Amino acid sequence: MGTHRLKVPLAIFCLCFFWIAGFASLSPRELLGIAPQDVGYYKSDVIKCKDGSKKFTKQQLNDEFCDCPDGTDEPGTSACPEGKFYCRNAGHIPQTIFSSRVNDGVCDCCDGSDEYNGSANCPNTCWEAGKAAREKIKKKIATHQEGLLMRKQEVEKAKQAFAKDEAELLKLKNEEKILKGLVEKLREHKERIEKAEEEERLRKEKEEKKRRDAEIKSNELNKSSEESPQDDTEGTQDTLEKASQGKIEVVQESAVQLENEYKSGTEIPDDHTVTQITNDHGDSITSSHVSDHKSDEVPSDYATDQAQSSETTEGLSKEELGRLVASRWTGEQTEQGEEQTKESDDAKEEEQEHNIDFPESAEEENYDSYNSENDDDRHKYDDDDFEDETDEEYQEDHVEPDVSTHSGEDFKSDFPDATPSGRPSWLDKIQQTVQNIIQAFNFFKTPVDISESSRVKNEYDDASSKLSKLQSRISTLSEKLKHDFGKEKEFYSFYDHCFENKKNKYTYKVCPFKKATQVEGHSTTQLGRWEKFDESYRAMQFANGDRCWNGPDRSLKVRLRCGLKDELADVDEPSRCEYVAILSTPILCLEEKLKELQEKLEDMNKSQPSHDEL
Amino acid sequence: MGSPDRRSPASLLLFLLFVLVFSSADAWKKDEFRSCRQTPFCKRARGRAPHSIPPFSVAEVSLSDGAVSARLVPSPAIYQVTDDDASAAADDNDDNLRPLLLRLSVYHGGILRLEIDEDPSSASTPKRRFRLPDVLLPDLEDRRLWLSRLSSPSDADFTSFYVADGFEGVLLHSPFEIVVRRVGSAAEPVLSLNSHGLFDFEQLRAKKEGENWEESFRSHTDARPNGPQSISFDVSFHGANFVYGIPEHASPSLSLRPTRGPGVDESEPYRLFNLDVFEYLHDSPFGIYGSIPFMLSHGASSSSGFFWLNAAEMQIDVLAPGWDDPAAPDTGRIDTFWMSEAGVVDAFFFVGPGPKDVLKQYASLTGTQAMPQEFAVAYHQCRWNYRDEEDVAAVNAGFDEHDIPYDVLWLDIEHTDGKRYFTWDKVLFPNPEEMQKKLAAKGRRMVTIVDPHIKRDDSFHLHKEATEKGFYVKDESGKDYDGWCWPGSSSYPDMLNPEIREWWAEKFSYKNYVGSTSSLYIWNDMNEPSVFNGPEVTMPRDALHYGDVEHRELHNAYGYYFHMATANGLLKRGDGKDRPFVLSRAFFAGSQRYGAIWTGDNSADWDHLRASVPMVLNLGLTGMSFSGADVGGFFGNPDADLLVRWYQLGAYYPFFRGHAHHDTKRREPWLFGEHNTALMREAIHIRYSLLPYYYTLFREASVSGIPIMRPLWLEFPADKETYDNGEAFMVGPSLLVQGIYEKNQKSISVYLPSGSSWFNLRNGVKLDGGASHKLDVSEDGVPSFQRAGTIVPRKDRFRRSSTQMVNDPYTLVIALNGSLAAEGELYVDDGKSYEFEKGAYIHRRFIFADGKLESIDIRPPNAGNKKFSTDCTVERIILLGLPSGAEKAVVEPGNHETNIELGPLTLRSGSKPIAFTIRKPNVRIADDWSIRIL
Repeated sequence: MGTHRLKVPLAIFCLCFFWIAGFASLSPRELLGIAPQDVGYYKSDVIKCKDGSKKFTKQQLNDEFCDCPDGTDEPGTSACPEGKFYCRNAGHIPQTIFSSRVNDGVCDCCDGSDEYNGSANCPNTCWEAGKAAREKIKKKIATHQEGLLMRKQEVEKAKQAFAKDEAELLKLKNEEKILKGLVEKLREHKERIEKAEEEERLRKEKEEKKRRDAEIKSNELNKSSEESPQDDTEGTQDTLEKASQGKIEVVQESAVQLENEYKSGTEIPDDHTVTQITNDHGDSITSSHVSDHKSDEVPSDYATDQAQSSETTEGLSKEELGRLVASRWTGEQTEQGEEQTKESDDAKEEEQEHNIDFPESAEEENYDSYNSENDDDRHKYDDDDFEDETDEEYQEDHVEPDVSTHSGEDFKSDFPDATPSGRPSWLDKIQQTVQNIIQAFNFFKTPVDISESSRVKNEYDDASSKLSKLQSRISTLSEKLKHDFGKEKEFYSFYDHCFENKKNKYTYKVCPFKKATQVEGHSTTQLGRWEKFDESYRAMQFANGDRCWNGPDRSLKVRLRCGLKDELADVDEPSRCEYVAILSTPILCLEEKLKELQEKLEDMNKSQPSHDEL
Repeated sequence: MGSPDRRSPASLLLFLLFVLVFSSADAWKKDEFRSCRQTPFCKRARGRAPHSIPPFSVAEVSLSDGAVSARLVPSPAIYQVTDDDASAAADDNDDNLRPLLLRLSVYHGGILRLEIDEDPSSASTPKRRFRLPDVLLPDLEDRRLWLSRLSSPSDADFTSFYVADGFEGVLLHSPFEIVVRRVGSAAEPVLSLNSHGLFDFEQLRAKKEGENWEESFRSHTDARPNGPQSISFDVSFHGANFVYGIPEHASPSLSLRPTRGPGVDESEPYRLFNLDVFEYLHDSPFGIYGSIPFMLSHGASSSSGFFWLNAAEMQIDVLAPGWDDPAAPDTGRIDTFWMSEAGVVDAFFFVGPGPKDVLKQYASLTGTQAMPQEFAVAYHQCRWNYRDEEDVAAVNAGFDEHDIPYDVLWLDIEHTDGKRYFTWDKVLFPNPEEMQKKLAAKGRRMVTIVDPHIKRDDSFHLHKEATEKGFYVKDESGKDYDGWCWPGSSSYPDMLNPEIREWWAEKFSYKNYVGSTSSLYIWNDMNEPSVFNGPEVTMPRDALHYGDVEHRELHNAYGYYFHMATANGLLKRGDGKDRPFVLSRAFFAGSQRYGAIWTGDNSADWDHLRASVPMVLNLGLTGMSFSGADVGGFFGNPDADLLVRWYQLGAYYPFFRGHAHHDTKRREPWLFGEHNTALMREAIHIRYSLLPYYYTLFREASVSGIPIMRPLWLEFPADKETYDNGEAFMVGPSLLVQGIYEKNQKSISVYLPSGSSWFNLRNGVKLDGGASHKLDVSEDGVPSFQRAGTIVPRKDRFRRSSTQMVNDPYTLVIALNGSLAAEGELYVDDGKSYEFEKGAYIHRRFIFADGKLESIDIRPPNAGNKKFSTDCTVERIILLGLPSGAEKAVVEPGNHETNIELGPLTLRSGSKPIAFTIRKPNVRIADDWSIRIL
């Protein structure tokens, strides 16, 4: 296209003419596509390419030939691939578009200025578009204004809650120190008592032993051959252990008890949780086994499958074969097709049940990693399982540790005066009691007074149980406070919140700082565990969710935006197993953004052509 | 949404371990496909030693109807059965002693045709052997030469006849052999058939009492109601250094490596059997999606070709020198051994003598590349799957946002209502027409997938209709064949039947294909046909087609017919005015007439990137000019490095499409960080700027059959260094591109062919030909060079899509040779209709000599009455290799002066002014003009 063929519509010509009255040295053609703040740059007769590569004359400005590879000399034409075209869009917002859009037959600027060679008829739609845009922006501003107030309250609340929790933690830590000392004292005391008792017992036992030695020797062989087949191995083992390790039995017993107490302190469930826990108990036993079992079996099962597919597809029906081969491309398990026989339906249900177990066990192991003791716990747990133990204490042992809020409340109910205001505190009381006991106890009395000794033991048990509860509360709190809640702790309330969204058959549940799941009926898929805030607190990232078959681990990115309600929306899976969602919340109604919007609106209002143009 | 499925972290480790251990098992399932050993006809034929079977002799040679006809008489000698196959032993009977009919005919341009079939007058069964119709061009008979004289000296045991100037055919009588040779004192052979006495022909016969013809493979049984009927023979390419062709096979090698003989470990023949192979290997002779039984040879002294028109399973051995006699010295020829399960001998010898002659000879039989619409030559964006209208809009906007041009957005199978083709998922795509119009508003098109498997669902109108009309392929018992594919239980329209093809074509009308618009085009996948529960993932060989043709006889052409019917559907839809665009995965000889093909489900690894070049080159050599590999690799996740390199190379494939499996991460070009986005944008921009050159090359391909992407030796037939170079290639006659096939490669050795100098298109540096040059590898692009003496037309302005480039001005890049001369061509038409067939096009030749550039009209005066006009001008002329000093040029007519100054080779920020550039000559592309440098 030669310059002689350039047709500048009259409107634009006029527009430019008025607009650049101050820069009479530039013709309308030369001014095409130049932003007002840039006009000065083009005033001289010889102009530099912005990248410094070259100089060009004013005649070369917008002459449809690219002289500067960076596009400096052709802001108004499509000649330079890397150029940018400015459209003023009076009535709306100015826009900078790629040079590739200039005279391409598509209307890009609402004022039509990008199409001036007549190949497209682009009416000026800025006024209507601008009006709509202004309305939209006004609405946004209103939302931001209202949201900002809510945000302030939220931040205030969060700050208070944070401070409160911090104060509590500090206090608890002090209390822990004192209580630890008490427990230590009691333990020493208890051990001395036990030692005395033990000595007495040994003495008695010696006497007894002497007396019965001969008798036992003669009977032992017969007895063991008669009884052992009836006993289960464990029983036998137990008996044997008892017989041989009788000396340390007492110590061991109390250790077990201590540990149980400690654990029950970790999670003190309310009634509601207890029932759940009972279920969990049953499930989690299965799950831990299923998961162990599966981790061995799933792959080898699958391996067999693979082997079958290359060796024994003979055995498959035509349909099964079709599904099997199709599944290579789709990555779907063949059982999950639509039209299934009843049998395979059952199999599917069963499998789903198993699937349900997965996240639980995954979670368990996840939380396991928080506590170093856990590996041992688990082994113990398995042993207990085999012993078929079902007492309440045991059940309490296996509460999921993520019910932190409950445990917090429970903690308070267990320590009714745990609040700073409660005076005199339970700690003072317990200190007093311990003092009394220790003073009252007479070590030199033999045999040991049984009621006194049990009082000491009880008090020790009580105090150490309190200590573990205290410590678990401390760990819960410090776990919480460790998180990044934003610059102003504005996301503090999110810690105990979950947000839900229903889409088709799925319910999505997003629990910030914890995890995100997709629930379909009875089956739960973990989309990810909390990772971090992203994009300067404009997104929450959940990662390492359940693995996709033949794919990546699931992950979820939750984009945050300003809204008057906390609302989860637009859950989507743009790439396989990579989910995105949008969460509206007042917390994202930011002052800067409001200002930005207001400035934008101002600009838009300013550029309304009604008063200064035409 | 992903199906619920989890693994506990504890089992994760084991799972990963399992992935590692079984990922190889997960890939190509070797056991599911037959080896030659498991294929009785192949095993039998391959087990024979040269001259070990009773020879055929020629009798009753005569001229009839302008062609040589004769009888091929088997000798009554007892078969020396060397293998243990029962049915081979059963061949030893009178039926195989009936004489065969032989016919030799000659076609214009250096083509000899050999036909051998049974004599119907003495047949012992009613079954006739299948001769594949519809592949040879309908006007071929018009180009047959009428032979009027046979030369058969009375004392000689042969008959010779004219084939082409300088070439004659020789029919040796006993034993039977055919030789094409040069006329003259040397009488050098070019091609020969049965020089090693391996010709065998199993004749149809009645089944004997107690004989079992069934064949089983894995759980599948092939009834083989017609018994053994295979054909095999040897073909020798004399004076050849290498042989090429017979796609489709994946290999990093350009030439066909020997499959038997000294130095070859136990290996398989090249298999031609259209198969849907899950995660195919990048280096294997096994058959994949398409088959073209055309092999060509090249050597320093001659090029030749051989084509066997036969759609049954074929196995071809390339024999290493010394295969028949280890003591024999290298004979300067390449022997090959051809085996087919069924059909007839209908074979063509192409005499060359140049490589382009061979390609033209082949094209004169099976046709040339259909001229595509301009948009189809641009960049295509595909994924399994763009999920819904919102996704489509977002991807479309993504390209605009990043200023990356693209022309076509593709929808894979998930857009349909339950894999019922011609329908839309009502939830995901409620407004397909509106969606297409939105794309069209930016000059973009959409492609949807239509596969041959039809869901067996009585509420699906297509199934209902096909069932009622009896349009499906039948199983061996005569019932509609029921196989398993994406929709589950499916049947397959019998595309061999012209009536059914017409019916199919009608389905593409706007009325029948609800939700389609004029900017919608079609993709045919799974047309091998892929049948998930069939033998070797395809249709049973005993399935029955129109005219009682067994599937075994036609298998390799099923996809061809399906492609043909679909393309005709689009042609009909547009009243014959809109050039169809149909991409097919399966193909056969002649598929080039119906559209493009791609190399199927490749993988995102460097080996597949490397193999893509020999694959596309061999497709081009065998007529399929319009092909490409999935950029990025279909399976798996390419890292940014691989993806960028693939874009940089793929931008030069004739068919340029990004595609990905649905389990892969999203990989639209802007998802890998700004820097990589810029690199991929640049790669795509290069393709767009070269669109005028590519379109001109497509014109050449559509006229002469010379491919767009060419092995170096096609342009430099005398340069032996180029014969097996599968890493670099020519785009047309002017550009040489070298791929980068390794991660983090720092430098690369590029061989530039002799007889010409080369200009590095990155920096304008001139390099000598006939030498390897060690170059630094840049991340900005793959090495590319313009050959001295050529002119390449470009359009350097960038747009959203090719549609908006129509009126943009041109840039001519002139690379001057030693005598400061260069030549190039430009072809332009409306880019969409068939008006060019009536002469509505511009075809110019640019000639630079003696300091003057001239534009000459080379559109022949008899091209037609229609004219194509455009106001497009030339905005810039870049001169590489011009000695310094020039400052002005004069444009005629008009005698106006224009400036010459230093300018960059590409208009990119930071590019340096390195080449003399004629500024704004502004001459119209449609006009005659000249520009003289002062």
